[in-house]
Amino acid sequence: MKNKKLKILIAFFGLIIFNSCENDLPRMAEFTSIEFTGLDENGGTWTPILLASSSQVVVSAPSAVKSPEYQAELAALKSATQSLSGSQVEAVQYWTNNPIIRWNEIALELATKYNLIPGPNPDGTYTLPNSANPAGPPPFPFAHPPYTCRMLAYLSVAQFDGLITAWHYKYTDNRPATYVTDASISYAYAKNTLPSYPSEGAVIAVVSRDILTAMFPLEKDYLAAKAEEHLGSLVWSGSNVQSDITAGEYIGTEVKKVVLARASTDGMKNAQTPKAKSDSIAAAAFARFGWKWENMETPQRPVGLTPLFGKVKMWNVPTVEEVRPGIPPAPGSAELEKDAQELQDFAKNLTEKQRKIANWWSDGLNTYTPPGHWNRLAKDYIIKYEMNPLRSARTFAYLNQAIMDAGISCWDAKYYYYYPRPIQVIPGFKTILGTPNFPSYTSGHSTFSAAAAEVLSYIFPAEASYCNEWAREAAESRIYGGIHYRFDAELGLDQGKKVAEYTVNKAKLDKAD
Amino acid sequence: MKKYLRLMLCMSVLFVGRVTHAQTPADAIMMKQREICFALSYDHGTWDHYWEGADLRVNGNIGTLTRNTTAPMVAYGIINKLNVLLSTPYVQTKSSGGQLAGVKGFQDISVALKYEAFNRKVGKGKLLLLPVGAFATPMTNYLSDYQPYSLGLGTTEWTLRGIVQYELDKGPYVRGSVAHLWRGQTEVERDFYYNNGSYYTTFMDVPNAWNYQGTLGAWLLDYSLQVEATYFVMNSTSGDDIRAYNSPQPTNKVEFSQVSFFAHYYFKNFERIKGLGVMGYYSQMLDEGRNMGKFTNIGGGFTYQFKF
Repeated sequence: MKNKKLKILIAFFGLIIFNSCENDLPRMAEFTSIEFTGLDENGGTWTPILLASSSQVVVSAPSAVKSPEYQAELAALKSATQSLSGSQVEAVQYWTNNPIIRWNEIALELATKYNLIPGPNPDGTYTLPNSANPAGPPPFPFAHPPYTCRMLAYLSVAQFDGLITAWHYKYTDNRPATYVTDASISYAYAKNTLPSYPSEGAVIAVVSRDILTAMFPLEKDYLAAKAEEHLGSLVWSGSNVQSDITAGEYIGTEVKKVVLARASTDGMKNAQTPKAKSDSIAAAAFARFGWKWENMETPQRPVGLTPLFGKVKMWNVPTVEEVRPGIPPAPGSAELEKDAQELQDFAKNLTEKQRKIANWWSDGLNTYTPPGHWNRLAKDYIIKYEMNPLRSARTFAYLNQAIMDAGISCWDAKYYYYYPRPIQVIPGFKTILGTPNFPSYTSGHSTFSAAAAEVLSYIFPAEASYCNEWAREAAESRIYGGIHYRFDAELGLDQGKKVAEYTVNKAKLDKAD
Repeated sequence: MKKYLRLMLCMSVLFVGRVTHAQTPADAIMMKQREICFALSYDHGTWDHYWEGADLRVNGNIGTLTRNTTAPMVAYGIINKLNVLLSTPYVQTKSSGGQLAGVKGFQDISVALKYEAFNRKVGKGKLLLLPVGAFATPMTNYLSDYQPYSLGLGTTEWTLRGIVQYELDKGPYVRGSVAHLWRGQTEVERDFYYNNGSYYTTFMDVPNAWNYQGTLGAWLLDYSLQVEATYFVMNSTSGDDIRAYNSPQPTNKVEFSQVSFFAHYYFKNFERIKGLGVMGYYSQMLDEGRNMGKFTNIGGGFTYQFKF
């Protein structure tokens, strides 16, 4: 009898121990090296986005392979790779030979970290983040979808223009890879014939650090430490001698100036308006259409999110008006009633599958937002298709230009039409997703997602059906969540696709195809 | 008398839904072999302040959060010294402010085995030692990542508890218990989230926890009425804080302490309803806490006990 009880206790302990052996949860894309499908030897002839040409930034020719200076650099590299510390080995494995991936992950992590909406002060007022006083409170920035899509666009455009420049000099100067000149140098990644001067890794490290520091000023030290480790990994992995790195850093520094100059004059600093301006935008919409969106939070937020983001300079669409969708059905009309009824039906009888879709694409506060979600999907394809850093940067650059243009167009519609959200129109309506602080029409998720799917379908044609299906699902998710009408989603999808066509048409002409 | 009395005692501390309470049972009462006890309890918990990290705050978009739990439960004496307990709480949540919808449904099924390892006369009373092992797992596919409205933590949970009680022959008793709760991972409906850094997975680690309870109790009215005052502490062993003006998530480090007052009356002098008991309680969380709503709970229920 005693024995039996003992067995029961042992069984309990055994199950507890079994249960506590949990899997380690992934913190990043898991890969250490990519065997690139191609090197894009003609990459230096591609058309940059903001630079006038791939030789706008002038880089002097490197010393000759046989020169004593280069031989001394090679000897220094060889010795540096011979006794790596544990943290240096980890850095080499982390950064890989496609560090575009890691900097995109860092950007998404910071977007998530800063995607917190400021709460009310004790007296019911709200204080907005201020770039002149980034420490706050509240801290700057609030990385909402417009902020994040713009951050990602400048990051990837800078990376792309920097790498086109690097490729130009790589195949002009043709300094062979370190391990080609000296076979005894141990190289950490899959070998190829990419010339080593200037270092593409150094270009990426510097532009990424500097663009992200401009976007997330409180992360200056964190980003400097990341870049320093990345630059170190170029040596520890046997990838680059010091002159390769110095030339790459120079390109990065020059390119980031051009990119940040555009960013400082794109109109973003006016996007978050004072209350008086916001009220006049609302009054104009009311005069035009007879309806007016209102924030429904407690206490009420006096100004919607970035009312003038729709006026920010677009990348590839000449005027925002030419992609503006038509007028939505008026509140009270039969068409609106039908779509409002659909939301109430979903709220009553949501299936688990529909709930999952709503949450899967929710991408709200404390997440990387829909632009981040699509960057993450693009990243997975970049790894799957084993793209080199230049082609990876091109993918992100066109993806994020289209996404930002879609965001600008969507915000134009939101504040032009100023259309009320379902929780404002349907009395007592409760939702499973939080309603954002901006007007309803059109759906940001739908517009961002259709634009992203359009670019990814162009770059990864074999994945087009998945991308379009996901965009549709992302659009539907807002209906299941109760925060958008079906027409917000449908017209948002059309709008995003239309906006992205401008970007795809431009991409087709950049000589990369 | 003593034998008869034993027959009349049903569990005093009920399983109540997770998140607000540990699912105990943490009392020292045992069913005899082939005795069975059914209980039905109703718990009404509310809070209008919550701890964001360690800061106690309000949120106009929640207002007052209400969490009602109906918990059917059964306890059975497999043998005199080994009882099995089963509970399946049904939880409903809602808030008075904001636009987010509440949820309702069955939460977790909990099974516990309680063993009376020691029961001897010591001085003017008796000393009891009871180890308890418990297992809980979600009964339905509810979403744990919908806090503060979620029905529960959405993960399996193993509990090992040690209970010590010293009971004077005249009725008063003192009881203490310590438990460790091992929680697994909960599957959520997104594959990226922030927990002091990025996670690319649909699984979240739910922190383990320690639970401590200390109780002073007494039997009154010739063993018809049991009254207790309990101090209850629950502390996660790890986890992150709720971020500024953001929703909680299952990875959070939760800490709270609570006092509760409890009474259970057994109708042992009423022949027609012998075996029936009624119970009620009130509990209040104290001022120090972490990543948790500051609950006030009031509850009550019926117990009914008989022998096969």
